[in-house]
Amino acid sequence: MNDQSTNWEPKIIAFLCNWCSYAGADLAGVSRFQYPSNIRIVRVPCSGRVSENMIMSALKSGADGILVSGCHPGDCHYISGNYFARRRFALLSNLLDFIGIEPGRVSFSWVSASEGEQFAEVVQSVTEKVKALGPASRLVKKIDALETALQVA
Amino acid sequence: MPTINETVSEEIRAQARKLLEEGTVAAVIGYAAGSLPMTVKPLVVRSPEDCRKLIWNTFCVLNLANYLPATLKSVEPPRGPRDPKPEGPLPKVAICATGCWSRNIVVQIQEHQVARDRVVVMGVGSRGMVSKRKVQALFDGREILAVEEGDHELVIQGADFSETINRWSVVRDNCQTCTHPDPVLVDVRIGEPVSERKNPNPFMQVDALEQKSGDERWAWFTEEFSTCIRCYACRNACPLCYCPTCFVDDAKPQWVGKSLDAVDTGLFHILRAYHCAGRCTDCGTCETVCPKGINMRMLTKKLNKDVLDLYGIEAGMQPDAPLPLTTYTMDDPQKFMVAEPSAVKEGK
Amino acid sequence: MKVFKITPAELDAMIQEWSKAHPVYAPALAKQPAASPDCAPGWSRVDGNAPLTLPVGPPPASVKTFFFPQPETLLTYTLENNHPDKGLMREPAKSQGIQVVVGVRPCDARSVLLNNLPYQEDPFFQANRQRTALIGFTCEQTRSTCFCTQMGGSPLGSEGLDLVFSRTRDGFIVEVGSAKGEALVADLDLAPADESEISALAARRQEEVKASSTELDTLKGRELGKLYDAPLWQPLGESCINCGACTFICPTCYCFDIQDEVVRGQGRRIRYWDSCMFPLYSLHTSGHNPRGQKVQRTRNRFLHKLKYFPDRFGPFSCVGCGRCVQDCPVNIDIREVMTDLLAVE
Repeated sequence: MNDQSTNWEPKIIAFLCNWCSYAGADLAGVSRFQYPSNIRIVRVPCSGRVSENMIMSALKSGADGILVSGCHPGDCHYISGNYFARRRFALLSNLLDFIGIEPGRVSFSWVSASEGEQFAEVVQSVTEKVKALGPASRLVKKIDALETALQVA
Repeated sequence: MPTINETVSEEIRAQARKLLEEGTVAAVIGYAAGSLPMTVKPLVVRSPEDCRKLIWNTFCVLNLANYLPATLKSVEPPRGPRDPKPEGPLPKVAICATGCWSRNIVVQIQEHQVARDRVVVMGVGSRGMVSKRKVQALFDGREILAVEEGDHELVIQGADFSETINRWSVVRDNCQTCTHPDPVLVDVRIGEPVSERKNPNPFMQVDALEQKSGDERWAWFTEEFSTCIRCYACRNACPLCYCPTCFVDDAKPQWVGKSLDAVDTGLFHILRAYHCAGRCTDCGTCETVCPKGINMRMLTKKLNKDVLDLYGIEAGMQPDAPLPLTTYTMDDPQKFMVAEPSAVKEGK
Repeated sequence: MKVFKITPAELDAMIQEWSKAHPVYAPALAKQPAASPDCAPGWSRVDGNAPLTLPVGPPPASVKTFFFPQPETLLTYTLENNHPDKGLMREPAKSQGIQVVVGVRPCDARSVLLNNLPYQEDPFFQANRQRTALIGFTCEQTRSTCFCTQMGGSPLGSEGLDLVFSRTRDGFIVEVGSAKGEALVADLDLAPADESEISALAARRQEEVKASSTELDTLKGRELGKLYDAPLWQPLGESCINCGACTFICPTCYCFDIQDEVVRGQGRRIRYWDSCMFPLYSLHTSGHNPRGQKVQRTRNRFLHKLKYFPDRFGPFSCVGCGRCVQDCPVNIDIREVMTDLLAVE
């Protein structure tokens, strides 16, 4: 269980597109740029592949932060996948803010294959933001809480 | 002197009968009288004789566009899944539609659920539909046994009371803030056209909630959706929800748990609303059919607002334009993205 | 059977007394969270400090939720590798004491007896029955959507209730219906009811019996095939939107599904409400769905209540509370369905 008092480290799920951001992460590694080890990378073909279901599912399963990263506009391997993604993420990001999910829990960025240093910086800044927010509690499914509920009833 | 809706009802019956008798259409989607006050039954009429059952009143709250794809399918000649499409034009279906419903038909056309040339839209200018829940709230648990409808007032009768109330005061929130009450597609005009409404702020309720703090909004969200019983009436009554398998029914992976857990219920509502982004016409059916009176319309309305603010599109207004999420521009706003740290450092 | 009389003030004192030892629930008048930690959906905990107020007719939420919770945890387990319980499935701890449900209408009390027929051997339902005391209030007034008298019930009925409160001029008379009910009033000093009031209630019950209708019973003898193929289902299925509202608010819909939920290594096996209105309900693993069409699902709900269930168990699986009549988004009215069914040639 996450606990802030015992040197809590956030878990951040990063959905990285295969062609840019994932390669960017690789470059960061090869170039020995340091970045926090809080991210868990899920490689996806394109940022356009990342559906809202995946993001919400990660939140529900207890991810403290989520990062979705793809190619810069204009650089998409599939020509336009990230343009469609940009519209969808803009709406999702606003909707999550609207229902009270802390800004910074779910982040989006563009990182290209040649931006190893930038990737490290993005992860750094996302991790710092999530650390400042503390462990996620909203929209995180907990089974124990329900258990007590049933016992009282 | 007949009321406006009595005239409209008469015209709907006459036009439906004419269309069916001429053979222009094979079926007409409309409303029949309900068994309780303030309720109506959706009805698909297939013979001229049954047209007498059709009515129109101020309680027609369910979006009839929801029935359009299935009714179109039902009038096609039966064929197996591998049989070729029959030659020649397929039978048509007529449907009564107000502003928002006609916009939903436009979305269905844009999304290739409905063929434009098979639909005859009987356009009715909407004067706003009354919320049964708002009327009931005025009478504090006393049962309403009959409601008489005038053009501007309703006479509410119970076992031991009879009161006249102003109709507009109990019109649904979405109708009160509606700016396009007149249908955008009209093949057969029913009644008088209704002019566009100038509404200074159609997103009033959303704005009010946006003004609050994140914690307050979260409190609103958890409280509002806590009574959900997961009956999915909101989803099933929605003309946008036609997926053969809804994401809530997916088993591998299972996105949303099946029982009453606040998180699962919350996710269902967030994702349901999100799937309507850029497509919702704010017809208010989801909120109306909810047996618990949950205001899930707030989420879709927020998305409507963003789609309008960011991309300047209102769903269903232009049949030829693509849907907002199936298109893009090179310079779509991206303020929500993580600012590139190097750019910030260099003061760009 | 013992019969007492009490005043409304004494009733609240009684609830106060009960709430010291047991959780006491009454119909929620304000918005009540479905998943609130110490409440059943639609019901709220009461302590008798505020006077008990009941809505006319059945309250919005039925008592089903106390016997057949949504969800009910059947087993819990852990997937953590080093946990001593790894590989074991345990039954969750159940509270031992009884829970008292106040403000139950006769229709809802009958629904528990009807659900008991298929759940005769269901340990979870039976355990919940054992620990739940139903405190009923007969209906002085009914709603226009009430039709319990057509379904074999009565607004003054006492079946299935542990204590039955009936209004008199200056208070209530209280009938004790079971040992559980008897235990609840054992320590309270209650005055016996007047003979005249007991006989007045009995007389009113007699009249209700005369007014009730047994017309529907002829359905039981009908040939199923004819009812199944009747033309009434087509328009009904066409207008139905296949939401689960009717089945979830219905006191006698008892279908469930079972699933395992695992969150971060903690698992539970839950039983949750399912609805015959949902396409997944009858979907086979092969992909075939014997009730793949909307009209088939709509027909199933009504024929189950009015034909399959009575053929199997005797009574209809409907108590006439009218909740579905009030809340159906497309105004499918079971009373009209029954009339249409009776008219089938």
